[in-house]
Amino acid sequence: MSNAALAGELGADNSAEKTAGTCAAPGLSEDWLAVWIGLLVFVLALVGVAGPNLLGWVVSTSVWTDVSGALGPAAKNYAGLGGIGALLVTYVALLVVLSVGAAALKIDVRRFALRFTVVFAIAYASWVVGSYAHFAAVTPSDFKKFGIDWSLRLTNEGGFIFALVAGLIISNFFPRFAEWLKEAIRPELYIKIAIVILGAFIAVTVAGKLSLASSVLLRGIAAIIEAYLIYWSVVYFVARKWFGFSREWAAPLASGISICGVAAAIATGGAIRSRPSVPVLVSSLVVVFAVVEVLILPFVAQTYLSHEPLVAAAWIGLAVKTDGAAVAAGGITEALILAKAAAEGVQYEPGWILGTTAAIKVFIDVFIGVWAFILAYIWTNHINVQKGGEKARVGEIWQRFPKFILGFVLTFLVGFYLASTATPDTLARITPAIGTANAFRVIFFILTFFSIGVLSNFRSLWREGLGKLVAVYVVSLFGFVVWVGLLVSWIFFSGVKPPLVN
Amino acid sequence: MSEQDLRSELSNSVVEPLLPIEKKLIGWSLSLGIGLLVVLLIANHFYPIKG
Repeated sequence: MSNAALAGELGADNSAEKTAGTCAAPGLSEDWLAVWIGLLVFVLALVGVAGPNLLGWVVSTSVWTDVSGALGPAAKNYAGLGGIGALLVTYVALLVVLSVGAAALKIDVRRFALRFTVVFAIAYASWVVGSYAHFAAVTPSDFKKFGIDWSLRLTNEGGFIFALVAGLIISNFFPRFAEWLKEAIRPELYIKIAIVILGAFIAVTVAGKLSLASSVLLRGIAAIIEAYLIYWSVVYFVARKWFGFSREWAAPLASGISICGVAAAIATGGAIRSRPSVPVLVSSLVVVFAVVEVLILPFVAQTYLSHEPLVAAAWIGLAVKTDGAAVAAGGITEALILAKAAAEGVQYEPGWILGTTAAIKVFIDVFIGVWAFILAYIWTNHINVQKGGEKARVGEIWQRFPKFILGFVLTFLVGFYLASTATPDTLARITPAIGTANAFRVIFFILTFFSIGVLSNFRSLWREGLGKLVAVYVVSLFGFVVWVGLLVSWIFFSGVKPPLVN
Repeated sequence: MSEQDLRSELSNSVVEPLLPIEKKLIGWSLSLGIGLLVVLLIANHFYPIKG
């Protein structure tokens, strides 16, 4: 992946951009933009509780054998639009909102709009292909319903994998096309919007099960300890002692592998005052390995952890790096495990696996700024001491804080308050309203998967000089991070099951 | 510095020995991490997750 292509991925954090020297146009940060767009969807969805359903036209896809029946609007009162009409309205709405966002980010709106159109078309087409019954049908009743005798059993969410693979094909076989698309390839923006919307969905899911939800959240503390104190120190040691990396390389590498990928590598690069290209090169590896994990770990979780759904959820949150890949992998894991459980006659409530993965990831993200400050303090006072040089500032904690988390917390709190204080009649209106918002969350997931694929050029792994970087990543990730993550997830989450559907 | 320069730097880098402050950072992080996980484990034992 080129530095330019990675700039879109890194666009999440203005401070990071300044540090990395990429995409440094002044304007609203992608984090804040994600908060505003996510809140817009949330507020419009909530209007549906008291009045008309303003977002019911959003397109949703069903498992199909006849493609003409695959698409439809999310709410019945927009049935007149038909599938294609709902798709067009959804596309236009996203185009308008995201183009306004692009203007706020100081991106050329015309270039963005054209490229977003192509991104949306390919990504959503991949999603629809993934919903084909021979790919998505899971249970015997599905087989009977669609009149089929075999299926890959990838579930409806298998479409995410198709979107990812479409992006990978473009990135690896049509690099010029991938470069052309880059203005609209913004996985961090898309996933952060999705996470803000997800806050409300999780809130409605856990309302009424406060005891279980708070217990799960409290165990998220273990994830913070593991990522920052255990993973980081071991990976840093391995990189420095076994592979002979300099401090400038080892610190961003340790953060990228241990914490949350791109954002952590960039924040660490800034904290230790590394050259901008160092965390950018590390980040390109982070994205490639995140894709490998997304393609493998959810299926491993389904095979070996389907009877421990929350162990699987926490493990995915701890093992898969970058917010986009982790939360998206949580979505696939949930679909795969729920499908397998359903085939065995167990109906878990949806939302708990994805919610646990997202909570683990958000918990880890919260402390990026604090960790960057600690490293900055050590580096500027003990390692790279320069007379009159810039020292670590407490303000960097806020500067590096991932602001989209504020949106996630806000939609969670409001959604939780509404769902837990509502009368049964009102709750019966809140749930579908948030469900409509959740349809947008799915679309932003699709865009995230496709974008991650487009940013992942596997040929970069074979380039001269990167072998040692790849080696430390493989040894640390698959020799340590994945297994310790599994052990800790097992210790804290084994025996805990999501509630069953009534 | 170009990406190509960084790659050749990676291939031909000189080993920097671990400084005492780095050893302290690694040691303290690991010890604190394991200690806190043990505390959480004990808390988890006495206050298990309730469904």
